[in-house]
Amino acid sequence: MTLPLDGIRVVDLSRVFAMPYCGAYLADLGAEVIKVDTHHNQFVDTTRTLNGPYPDNEPGELYWERGGTFQTLNRGKLSVTLDLRSAEALEVLRQLVSVSDIVLENFTPRVMRRFGLDYANLKAVKPDLIMVSNTGYGHSGPWTDFGAMATALEPTHGTGAFMGYLDVASDGRTAPGTVPNKIANSYTDFLASWTAQLAVMASLIHRARTGRGMWIDLAMYQVGVSFIGEGVLDFAFNGRRVRRMGNRHETIAPHGCYPCLGNDQWVVIAPRDDEEWRALCNVMAMPDLAADPRFADPAERHRNQDDLDAIVSGWTSGRDKYQVMDALQNCGVPSGPVLDGRDLLSDPHFRARGYFETAEHNTATGLGRQEYVSRGWRMSGNDVRIQKPAPMLGEDNQHVLSSILGLSESEIDELEASDAVGQSLAGAQTPSAVPLDRQVELGWTVAYDQDYREPLPAPTTD
Amino acid sequence: MPGLLDGIRVLELGGHVSAPFCAKQLADYGADVIKVEPPGWGDEARRMGPFVGDDRHPDKSIPFLYLNTNKRGVTLDPATVSGARILSELLDTADVLVENYPPEGRPTPELEVARLAREHPNLIITSITPFGQTGPYRNHAATDIVAVAMSGLMYHSGDSDQEPLRNALNQSFYVAGINGAVATTAALFQRMYTGMGQTVDVSAVECLASHLVQAVPYYSYMGAIKGRRPVRGSGFEELMPARDGYVIPSVQGSQPWSTVADLIGVPELHDERFASGSGRIEFGEEIYELLIQGLAEWDRKTLHQASGERRLVFGMAQDAGDLYQCPHLSEREFYRTVEHPVVGEAQYPGMGPKLSGMEYEVRRPAPLLGQHNHEIFGDELGRTDGELSQLRALGVI
Repeated sequence: MTLPLDGIRVVDLSRVFAMPYCGAYLADLGAEVIKVDTHHNQFVDTTRTLNGPYPDNEPGELYWERGGTFQTLNRGKLSVTLDLRSAEALEVLRQLVSVSDIVLENFTPRVMRRFGLDYANLKAVKPDLIMVSNTGYGHSGPWTDFGAMATALEPTHGTGAFMGYLDVASDGRTAPGTVPNKIANSYTDFLASWTAQLAVMASLIHRARTGRGMWIDLAMYQVGVSFIGEGVLDFAFNGRRVRRMGNRHETIAPHGCYPCLGNDQWVVIAPRDDEEWRALCNVMAMPDLAADPRFADPAERHRNQDDLDAIVSGWTSGRDKYQVMDALQNCGVPSGPVLDGRDLLSDPHFRARGYFETAEHNTATGLGRQEYVSRGWRMSGNDVRIQKPAPMLGEDNQHVLSSILGLSESEIDELEASDAVGQSLAGAQTPSAVPLDRQVELGWTVAYDQDYREPLPAPTTD
Repeated sequence: MPGLLDGIRVLELGGHVSAPFCAKQLADYGADVIKVEPPGWGDEARRMGPFVGDDRHPDKSIPFLYLNTNKRGVTLDPATVSGARILSELLDTADVLVENYPPEGRPTPELEVARLAREHPNLIITSITPFGQTGPYRNHAATDIVAVAMSGLMYHSGDSDQEPLRNALNQSFYVAGINGAVATTAALFQRMYTGMGQTVDVSAVECLASHLVQAVPYYSYMGAIKGRRPVRGSGFEELMPARDGYVIPSVQGSQPWSTVADLIGVPELHDERFASGSGRIEFGEEIYELLIQGLAEWDRKTLHQASGERRLVFGMAQDAGDLYQCPHLSEREFYRTVEHPVVGEAQYPGMGPKLSGMEYEVRRPAPLLGQHNHEIFGDELGRTDGELSQLRALGVI
């Protein structure tokens, strides 16, 4: 079976999360994605060296091959090491671009110009090149040279204006929140990744029709704002700056996240209308509640939701989160457990859809067979999937330099002799993993299972 | 310069956020998007607040206005015989159908995905739902908070000493929408070589679960359950109070600790114990106090500017007004003037990326209900004025 991007070659110069993940998806779709790695520790993609998590929390000797986050973000790629400080390596890179279709990069504008790798220069070697330049703020505008990381960028592009806990007065009454909060988990990186993937696909269609390439100036800050456009437009029309309401809703009540049986276990409940509200009352075995004038209609429920939340919390707190979902979904009331990483991996729905995809790793890595998050979509006409694990550092040097670029053995030897290519990380220090007990103390980790390799039991559901 | 997807016709059925945001993405790249709404009340997003002037009017819903620029709109009831016929004719002219009906709650059997795929083999059919077309939860009722909860993202958002927290702006359906656009364009690209359409099944919970590149391997690699952000710690990479709001001090990037300490401006921060990551963990509480003290002297925007100039990556919490008046976004021409017949003129947020080979334009505002019925059913499909009045009288359009 063919894949949509069969025959498309991608040069992936990118680092960290957003663009490497874009490259991984292009590989899932069938593209040949070549990760331009380096064996010099100070320039290597930091997800190889700083992120983990490692199997059993042990970095091991080949730790740069063993991080679960690195593996997720770089699956399906080839790796060639090129030290871009070397003129010869830069020339090899230019040759590689000349026989490729797409370049992904996320250096600052300054760095790309210094290397002569800006679009104008690369277009000279590959006239119909499609290139994504992903930066915090884009290649124009007063903040163009500012660096950025998703974790600090997220509130900058405004999500915190629409996210925050309620303020609680001393008498327990709640008011709209005044303190911003974060979606976190590098949210902006993923928005940028999805946006880049779409821009690449649209550019491939355009190139197939017109023969023209494309340069995509992707500013993560600007991308972030485009995902909360309705909030910004509310300011344009109504002058409203923030809307922070905890887990509540503009019109629906109750609407929230309620505690369940167990440590840090939660369920969300959101009956959309009077009928679903009455169904909730029945499931809670509180039919009188449906007749209570405080909760007679949506407006009354909204006005009295502090009381309502206390009642719903009282009911959920002795119950299992999956059982609450089952009881409410049986009556058509929107509800679901708040799933953590362990729950996701064992959830019957994710399992039934084959959401987690496996990769068999090179034995040298000690990773064995592992499961990874895949994609939120599947196509009927293709076997889009994780094609292979992330590459080992420089694993494909010979293939790229010799088979793709046709360099002679002596040319390759010279590159190696000048230390422009290499397969073992130079100048590296094995990272020290923070023990899991200490992680629990610090609050990074909620809990951990010693027997996590055993198959997870499915939750009790109907 | 025409858009990259110029000449591609997309039909959008359903409503709310996910399918409209998907189709908006395609429209922004130049596709010809026809939004099909039920006669009478239209897209349910027309009833979503906030409204312009807080007036609950179907053409004044702000989410609707944002999600539907660059589209034409018709009304059609596909459950009627003549409505089904017109829809089938429209599908014959389309390259893509984007829809978000519940898998088993479709307005008519003609709209079953399998049947549509059989009758329109060249069509790309993208279906976006909270849980996807298969699996035990496919028919579960869901709003955004349910999708965010079950994706795993919500567990990891908010503070560890409070409940998990959701963002108020339907992010699960925005993220599902753009993922749908990615898969749709991949299918369109493939169709250029194979000539064949295909179906695309998008699950909002899986789209957001795909963000969990740390929390999932935390468990699968070492059995650990990653939590929400700890309430203790040094305060770096967290929202911290400044003089006029909140900022995010950061040690990330490639600058030495002394640059960070210099910027914050508290001399005690120049302490070798604080210069390493492990030191900042060990002496987190001390650093936190010094940060509180230093940041209280800074305004958000001044600190952000100073950080950028020193090649640091501090952030700040901006609200909608800050973003609307942002000089950087202005210079990048992010906002575009849109004139709408009911709500008038305003500056709308535009497209995320800037492309060298395409000038982004807002060609038209969100459509009024049935605004293009005559243009599409009459001029394009050849229905006469008499036939259109009859369809109107029967409630088909």
